[in-house]
Amino acid sequence: MGSKALLMLKGVSSIAPKNQIFNFNCKSSRSSNSSFSFSKVVINHDKNNKVRRCSTTITQSSLEPPNVSRLAETARISLTPNEVEEFAPKIRQVIDWFGQLQDVDLHSIEPSIRADTEDSNLRDDIPETFENRESMIAAVPSYEEPYIKVPKVLNKE
Amino acid sequence: MMASTIFRSIQNHPLLLYPTALFRRKNGVFYCTMKSTEAQTATQEKQKPQIKNPPRTQTKTSDKFSKDYEAVIGIETHVQLNTLTKAFCGCPYNYGSPPNTSVCPICMGLPGALPVLNSKVIELAVKVGLALNSKLSLNSKFDRKQYFYPDLPKGYQISQFDVPIASGGYIDLDLPVEFGGGHRRFGITRVHMEEDAGKLLHSENESYSQEITASPLPKYCLLIWLILLQVDLNRAGVPLLEIVSEPDMRTGIEAAEYAAELQRLVRYLGVSNGNMQEGSLRCDVNVSIRPIGQAQFGTKVEIKNLNSFSSVSRAIDFEISRQVLLHSQGQGDQITQETRLWEEGAQKTVTMRKKEGLADYRYFPEPDLPGVILTKEYVNSIRDSLPELPEVKRRRYEKMGLSMQDVLFLANDVNVAEFFDATIAKGADVKLAANWIMGDIAAYIKNEKLTINEIKLIPQELAELIASIKGGTISGKIGKEILFELLAKGGTVKGLIKEKDLVQIVDPMEIEKIVDKVLSENPKQLEQYRGGKTKLQGYFAGQVMKLSKGKANPGLLNKILLEKLNAQS
Repeated sequence: MGSKALLMLKGVSSIAPKNQIFNFNCKSSRSSNSSFSFSKVVINHDKNNKVRRCSTTITQSSLEPPNVSRLAETARISLTPNEVEEFAPKIRQVIDWFGQLQDVDLHSIEPSIRADTEDSNLRDDIPETFENRESMIAAVPSYEEPYIKVPKVLNKE
Repeated sequence: MMASTIFRSIQNHPLLLYPTALFRRKNGVFYCTMKSTEAQTATQEKQKPQIKNPPRTQTKTSDKFSKDYEAVIGIETHVQLNTLTKAFCGCPYNYGSPPNTSVCPICMGLPGALPVLNSKVIELAVKVGLALNSKLSLNSKFDRKQYFYPDLPKGYQISQFDVPIASGGYIDLDLPVEFGGGHRRFGITRVHMEEDAGKLLHSENESYSQEITASPLPKYCLLIWLILLQVDLNRAGVPLLEIVSEPDMRTGIEAAEYAAELQRLVRYLGVSNGNMQEGSLRCDVNVSIRPIGQAQFGTKVEIKNLNSFSSVSRAIDFEISRQVLLHSQGQGDQITQETRLWEEGAQKTVTMRKKEGLADYRYFPEPDLPGVILTKEYVNSIRDSLPELPEVKRRRYEKMGLSMQDVLFLANDVNVAEFFDATIAKGADVKLAANWIMGDIAAYIKNEKLTINEIKLIPQELAELIASIKGGTISGKIGKEILFELLAKGGTVKGLIKEKDLVQIVDPMEIEKIVDKVLSENPKQLEQYRGGKTKLQGYFAGQVMKLSKGKANPGLLNKILLEKLNAQS
C-alpha cells in the first residue's frame, strides 16, 4: 500500500468528509459485495503500486475475510496455492483498514459524489490522430492485417 | 452490453441469416426502417400486413387467451453520439474507416493511458436529457463496469451507474393513423453516458475450428481454436447514450413507435444520425406478460438483435404470443428470465442465454475521471438553444389545421419539416404546401433516391409556385411541369414561366379565338355534340388546351366553350 493510503488512514477524521463512503444503489444483498471492492485494491496494489482515491460500497462494518481464489478469478489472474496463502493475510490487512474507515460515523455528512473536487478537466471535440500507431499495432500479440486476433472464449460463465 | 456485441458480430456474418431471409422476402415481407425522407406512415403501411398476419400457428391457439393478459414492455436504447472524436480520447470516429486505424493508447486500453472527457459528450447528453423532460444531475460521475470480453480492451467499460446524468423524464408521441392513432406518453427512467466497445467479427474458419475442439486436443489444435475472433477497435471508446424507458409500453406497435420517436428526437436535436443499420441506434426490449388486473410484473425476457422498427414490433408480438401460449397451456413457469435473440429469417425469438442471477459487474467510480459538474447557467444556455422538438412541431401543425396523417408525415423527418416550415414562412398556403411536399415532391425524392436537402427546388420557389397557381398566372398542370423542372434543374418559377412562355391565358377574347378555331376545325364532332352527344365537351376542351399549349385558364375555357357549343343550337 502506498504512503498515501497510510496518510489517509492516519488522518481519517479530517479526510473522511471528503472521502465519503458512497452507497451504491444495489439493493439486493450481493454476496460478492465485499470482494467487488477489494479486488480493486488488489489490482492497484499489484499493477500500479498506486492507490487511487475512490469511494466504494461496504455496507456492513464487520467485514468478511477475503476469498482470495474468488478475487483472482474475478481479476482473471492465476495464483498458485502458495500465493493464495501468501496473499490472504495481506489482503486481510487492507480489508481491516477499510473496516476502520467504515467505522467512522458519517451520518450527519452529506455524501459527495466524487472524492476529488478539483476543476473538471474536459477536452474540446477536436480530432487528433495518434502518431505512433504503428508501434502500438506492432505490440499487439496477435495481429493479422487489419484485425487484432483474439481468443474466442475468455469467459467461464 | 456484452451480449449485444455478440449479436453485432452475428449480423456481420451474412451466411448465418441469409438463406432464411431470402425465403421471407419471397413472402413479401420486406420492410425498411425510416431512413432518409420516407414517411413513417408510409413505412408502416408496408409492415401492416405482416403484423396482421403473423407467420405462426401458435397465434390461433393463444388468441382466445391473449385478451386475458397484458404485456409489459420496457426498452433500453443505445444512441451513438455524432461527436467528431471519441468520448475519452481525440481519435476521430468515421463509420466505415479501415479497421484499427482510429486508435490510440487510451481507446486501446494500454497501461498508463488516462481518459479525458470530450466536452461535447456532456453537451449532447444534456440536450437529450432536457428534450426527454428529465431531471439533470448537476453532479454526476463515471463508473467502471467490469467484464471480460475481447472487444473491450481495458477489461471495463466506462459508464454511469448509480448517478446518471439525467433521470425521470417522458416522451410524447402520436401513433400512426392506420394503427388507430392516439397520443401516448411513455416514461423515461434514465439517460446515461458511456463508451462503446470495439467490433467483433467471426473469422471464416470458425465452424471448422470448433469441430476440432469437440475432441480431446493436441496442443497445436488448441492454438487454432484460440485464434478465432477478429477485433476492430475503431468503435471502442465512441460515446453512447443509454436511454432506459419505464415499462410503459403494452404492444409491439407502441414499442416500435417509441423507438421511432427517439430516433426522430435525436435527429431533430442533431446529436446522432440515429441510423439503425449502422448500429447508431440499438434497441434491447424487455417483455413480460401478466393477467389483466394483476399489479405484479411477470417474468421478463430480454430480446436482442432488433435492427429495425418493424423487427422491434414483430419480435415483441411474437414474444407476447409465445408467453401467452405457455400460460394457456399451464406452463407459465416455463417462462424464465433469459436473453432471447430475434431471428429475422424465421420470424421468431430463440433462447440465447439463460440468466443465472444478476451479472456481477463490480461497479465502482472511475478513478481516472473527475466528476461531471454542470452549472445551472450551462444547462439554461443549452435549454435555450434547443430546436423545436417533434412533439411541439406536431401540435403546431395540428393547430394549423392539417390532418393527423399530414402532421405525422411532415414532422417525421426533420429535414422535410424544415422545408415545409421554410415554405410556409414564405407565405405559401399551408394545405397546398403540405400537398405538394407529400405528393409530387415526396414521390420524386423516393424515385430518385434523394433526400429533400438534395433536390434543386428551394422552399422559396415552392412558395412562389403555389402563389403563381393560386393567383392564376399559371395553371395547375403547368405548375406541375415547372415543379419537375425545378426539382431536377433548379431555377426560379418566374424565370421558367418567362423562358418557356407559360403564362396562363386569362384573356376571354384570346380564349374565344382558340375555341372558335377548334369548333371550325371539327364540324363533325360539333354536329354530334349538338345532336346530343354532350360527352364530346371533354374532347373540345382537350383540343383547346392543346392549341393553347396548356396555357388556357381551365375555368374560362370551359365557360366559353360551353357557351359556344350551346349557343347556336
